[in-house]
Formats: sequence, C-alpha cells, structure tokens
Amino acid sequence: MKIRVLGNLAILAATVALSYGMQVTKPHYADLTAPLPVDGAMGKRVHARSFDVRLEKVVFARQLKTNQFGQEKLLTTSGLWAVATTSLTATDASTTVADGTWQGPTDLRYNQTERLGYRQDMPPHGVDPGLGKLGLFVFEVPPDQIRGAKLLIAARRFGPLDAQARISLDGVRTGPDGQPADILPQYDLDAPPRDQGPQDQGPQGPAQETRP
Amino acid sequence: MFNTARSKIQTWITAGAGTIAALFVAGVMGAFGALPAHAPPQLPPGAAIDAGRWRVQPVRAYVSHAKVYGVLLKPGQKALVLEADMTNRTAQSDKAYFDVFEPEGLTLADRQPMIALTRDSTLTPELHPGMTERMAYVWALAGDAAVPSSLGFGVTSEIFKPRDNLYGMPGWFNPYRLGTVTLPVADMPATDTEGGS
Repeated sequence: MKIRVLGNLAILAATVALSYGMQVTKPHYADLTAPLPVDGAMGKRVHARSFDVRLEKVVFARQLKTNQFGQEKLLTTSGLWAVATTSLTATDASTTVADGTWQGPTDLRYNQTERLGYRQDMPPHGVDPGLGKLGLFVFEVPPDQIRGAKLLIAARRFGPLDAQARISLDGVRTGPDGQPADILPQYDLDAPPRDQGPQDQGPQGPAQETRP
Repeated sequence: MFNTARSKIQTWITAGAGTIAALFVAGVMGAFGALPAHAPPQLPPGAAIDAGRWRVQPVRAYVSHAKVYGVLLKPGQKALVLEADMTNRTAQSDKAYFDVFEPEGLTLADRQPMIALTRDSTLTPELHPGMTERMAYVWALAGDAAVPSSLGFGVTSEIFKPRDNLYGMPGWFNPYRLGTVTLPVADMPATDTEGGS
C-alpha cells in the first residue's frame, strides 16, 4: 500500500518535471513559422524555392550617388554603404524577389535601405524562369558588422515557411581591423565601377532587362 | 506557553485580515484616486535618454516659417521642429519612432509629426541597429499659435516582452511616459534655407 502511494507520487513528480521541461523548451511561434534558410556562399548559385540567386560581389562605399527624378543626389551615411550585386532567376514561374537583409556577425539585422526611392535595379526584382537578371541590394551597415556577415534574400519580408537564401560573405576581403579592404569614396549607381570581370554588365544592360 | 503563543498568532491574523480587508475595500471604492499622481520626471536636456527601443538625445528645437527638411507647410502654417540624435537599440532595423516625442501644452494642427532624416531629408526612413542618425520631428502649427520660449517635450518609452501573450513573439509593448525634456525654442525667420532642399 505504501509502495503504491510512493509510486504514484513518483509518477506525479516525473509528469510535473516533464511538463515543465516541455514548457520551458517550447519553441517560439516565430521560430516555428520562420523562413527556411538555404545556406550558400558568394559566387555560388543558391536554390531557394521560387528563385535562384548568386551573389556576384559586394562593394563598399562612403557615399552613394544616385539619380532621383532627374536630380543627382549624393547620399551619406554614418556607417558604410554596402552594394550587393546579385544575379537572379526564377525557378519555374515569374515572381518577384523583394527582401534583402544584412545579418551581422552578432545577428543584428539591417534591412535594405529605404533612402533610394524607386529604381529599376532596386527591389522588388521581377524575375522570370530562364532569364538572368542583375539585381542590387543596398544596405547601410556599421564597419564592425561586415566581417562574418551574411546576406539574407527572400521573396518577401515576412514569408513564413518560405525559403530564404542565406549567403555568407566569406569572399569579402577585410583588413586586420575588420574593415573591408577596399572602400570606395563614392559609388555611382548609374555608372557602377567596372573592375570585376566581364559578367558585370551594369544594371541597365539590355541582356537582363525583363519587360512585361 | 504554547497556548499563549497560539492565541497571540490568532489575534495577529484576525487583526491583520481586518486591516487588509479594509484597505482592499477602500481601494475598490477608489479612495486612493485622491493621492497626488506621480508626475513624470524632468529629464536632463543635454544627455542621452534610453527610451525603450530608442536612445534619444534632443539637440535643439525651433519654430520654422518656411519649408524645413523637405516638409511642406500649408499656407499660413508654421512648424515646430525638434532635432534629436536617435539610435536604434534593438537588433533589427525599425521605424517605430513616431510617438517618441510629443510637445506639451500646444494645440497642434496634426498630432502626428512628419519625421525626416536631416542628412538628406528622407521622410521616415528605417533606422538601423547602433547607427545614430539625426532626425527632425516637424509638427505643423497654426500661423498665429503662441509657442513659449521654453517648451517641454514628453518622451514615451515602451517595455520589451520576450514573449507576448498572443503569439509568444518578442516585441515592444505598453507605452508609458518616461518623462519630460525641456528645451529652449528659437524662432527661425522665413529666410532660413537650411536643409530645405
């Protein structure tokens, strides 16, 4: 009789402990419905669900020159401008790729800048299957968030359970202080520097234009 | 001896329960509403203020009679401008800074300010973690509104919850008045061209 009571108490205690353990280790709803990362490296093609992306290069600059409504604008920042050039294509149906996020080494998330306004080569990028397209993602990042960073590219900002390309920026050359080796004083979005080989045709190249 | 101790405890419990019940009933009936309310404290004007997800440092306040940082004014209006250095303290880019400042004791044409980045007059851009930017809050005022030479700006903060009660998501909730920062308000004549591209 006594053993039975003790046994029941032991089972009760075990149940309480198990339930408590399950409660405290319950995953966040945000984690359950988070985008599914697809890891990749610079220069490699990453297959997300609805699009393929390859990060061609990342250029850092202190100032960004752009043309807005026929007016030239010189954009400054308290950190650095990071201009990521990607080549995009759709998997099996025309779609858009709208979201780019710079994830620093300590998981700080820098959304793409909103200071540029509308441009043809800025997100959302309309992509079609079988047609390559160069798309830019532009970020403002502090210099200490560059080494060990990752570029997250997804079809949209809040895409639960959709694929998200997660490209590690291992090809970015940084100095011993973590700063990138090459920082341009100025980057002209309408006349990008052409020093990176033949695939850099500029965003306005006729080969990648996808007109409806 | 044991008996006396027991009766003593009983006495204490009875008396205590009576007191607690009296306080509770008084509280329910609103007797404590007459207590002087806790006024939000005055914040030092020259220091950075941690207000929830923002670290803010007010720089200057002035009244502008012309377009300022690209914010157009209706004819006959003037603008109250507050410039502040803002730093995003969270881990991701955010633009929830609309309710951080609120001028006190003024009748505003529109309670919502226009907020511009002073760097290039971009309206309400996202601010990125750890990157301090100077922002200009622009409130439209009627042209004949009287603005005191020293004005208090209420600073609103929020509370971080690692799990909210609906989805268990982390977020910032329950805005509350952190305090008031008082700044001198200069008057800029209409010929001022600064930042007004």
